[in-house]
Amino acid sequence: MYPSLRRCSAGVRTPLIKFLGKRSFPSTADTPHPHPAAPLELQQRFSEFLAKVNSSGSSQPASKSKQSSEGVYSEFWEAPPRFWNPRIRHLEEAEMNAIMSGGASSY
Amino acid sequence: MLHLRRVAQKNLIRAGKRSVGIRGLATAAEPYDVVVIGGGPGGYVAAIKAAQLGLRTACVEKRGSLGGTCLNVGCIPSKAMLNNSHLYHQAQHDFERRGIDATVSLNLPKMLQAKDQAVTGLTKGIELLFRQNKVDYIKGSASFISSTKLSITPIDSAAESQPTEIDAKNIVIATGSEVSPFPGGAITIDEQQIVSSTGALDLKEVPKKMVVIGGGIIGLEMGSVWSRLGAEVTVVEFLGAVGGAGIDDEVAKSFQRILGKQGIKFKLNTKVISAEKVDGKVVLQAEPAKGGAAESLEADIVLVAVGRRPHIEGLNIEAAGVEMDNKGRIIIDDQYTTSQKNIKCIGDVTFGPMLAHKAEEEGIAAVEFIKTGHGHVNYNAIPSVVYTHPEVAWVGKTEQELKKEGVSYKIGKFSFAANSRAKTNLDSEGFVKILTEKETDRILGVHVIGPNAGEMIAEGVLAVEYGASAEDVARTTHAHPTLSEAFKEACMAAYSKPIHM
Repeated sequence: MYPSLRRCSAGVRTPLIKFLGKRSFPSTADTPHPHPAAPLELQQRFSEFLAKVNSSGSSQPASKSKQSSEGVYSEFWEAPPRFWNPRIRHLEEAEMNAIMSGGASSY
Repeated sequence: MLHLRRVAQKNLIRAGKRSVGIRGLATAAEPYDVVVIGGGPGGYVAAIKAAQLGLRTACVEKRGSLGGTCLNVGCIPSKAMLNNSHLYHQAQHDFERRGIDATVSLNLPKMLQAKDQAVTGLTKGIELLFRQNKVDYIKGSASFISSTKLSITPIDSAAESQPTEIDAKNIVIATGSEVSPFPGGAITIDEQQIVSSTGALDLKEVPKKMVVIGGGIIGLEMGSVWSRLGAEVTVVEFLGAVGGAGIDDEVAKSFQRILGKQGIKFKLNTKVISAEKVDGKVVLQAEPAKGGAAESLEADIVLVAVGRRPHIEGLNIEAAGVEMDNKGRIIIDDQYTTSQKNIKCIGDVTFGPMLAHKAEEEGIAAVEFIKTGHGHVNYNAIPSVVYTHPEVAWVGKTEQELKKEGVSYKIGKFSFAANSRAKTNLDSEGFVKILTEKETDRILGVHVIGPNAGEMIAEGVLAVEYGASAEDVARTTHAHPTLSEAFKEACMAAYSKPIHM
């Protein structure tokens, strides 16, 4: 069996090009760095900027709710949904009118 | 009534189980996971990607149509005008040598209509994409109340259109940029006789004389359009070269020479001092950038194309606590996070080149950071394209940058005059220039001036992104006869020798 031309050439030369393939992200988030296009001055005092970011208000992955052990929340949606989105059936206008009029508005 | 009674009974039972007073319970609307402010290329792409990642998303846009500057008054309408004016010019000046005898005349209103139709079709297309991806499209202007709450003023001016408030766990600012006024305020843009790029896309008649202030991408594209349609165009540029930031010096010289042959006049190293309207004309005073005697330039239309600046008007950014730099750009880190954790910022309103495709990449990366904590934009591999004829495109480092950084490099060049397809198309001006690292042969920069350069640069971007060597590309089969063979041959020239030159 004869090796193909491609196999022969592969033995001679290794391409510099790197195919990364399907990406899989690590479970921990990336560490923030200065933006590569930011002015040098801002890159040099990035730690100050980072301190401001860390001391700023709440932030969270969009789909996860932060649970506070002390029951104190800075945003209403951080509290359990039963407090801000109670599972009651919201009555429609016509239904409320029917109740208020003793059913008369239905006729 | 039966149904109502059953509902009422159920609610009563529930109410009985809970504490009393449910009638008084105030309920908040569920917050959005992501609200994107701005529906331009960065904003709308971010919104669609966020929705695709399963986040509850809204996009707020105050223009009344999606697509931002790019689609409405920028890239897209200018490309419509560039393409159609090129066809007109070709029919007038190039058909004869190709054996086509034709008499053509310009119907400018129809050409403007074709441009508008292209814009409308594409902006409506984005609305459809929003519906398909379940992005809430909010037509209004957003203003920060806090870092998580926005006030939305509807653009509909009807009396019932009162501002509303929405809550968002994450906000992406993608408000783009606006035309920079002339420095010092000496020239006021009226969009009639002294126009920005917006007005230059909608001139109702071809000016006899047009002066373009600024020899960057916008100035050269719009200058080309009106030159092809019959205007006598003079480009006044403060710097010593045309093409704007990032263009390779050698390419810039060739570019200026080719445009000069097409009839565009250039005044480089020249500063415009003032503009005055006199008897229906605009009289400009200009002087050498390094000082010297002033001269007068007369024009029917003056295009001010001196750049763009970040647009944050009406955002009430102070309420969000977001920091800006001294150029009015919003400060971000490499994850697009502003000084407020939950607010990200992308596109023209922050760092980096003001390019639609750069904003799109950032939009995707920003929402991926929100969802996963990871995202990717390679700022060394962002292409630039000038859609004149011939087109000019580049990615990566210029020769002057490599010299400045002290990098040892090699150059591979191939002229379109030696490319079979360009020759048969009678369109063979320009060249491909590949810059590689001397030691490794890795491609560091790609510069193309010639037919179809804007499409060809994609191969260069891919090479830079994947860290390819010139030999990697040169050993890849390119179809014959195509313009892309010039790219392959330039790569061959960089690591060895080209065949056809």
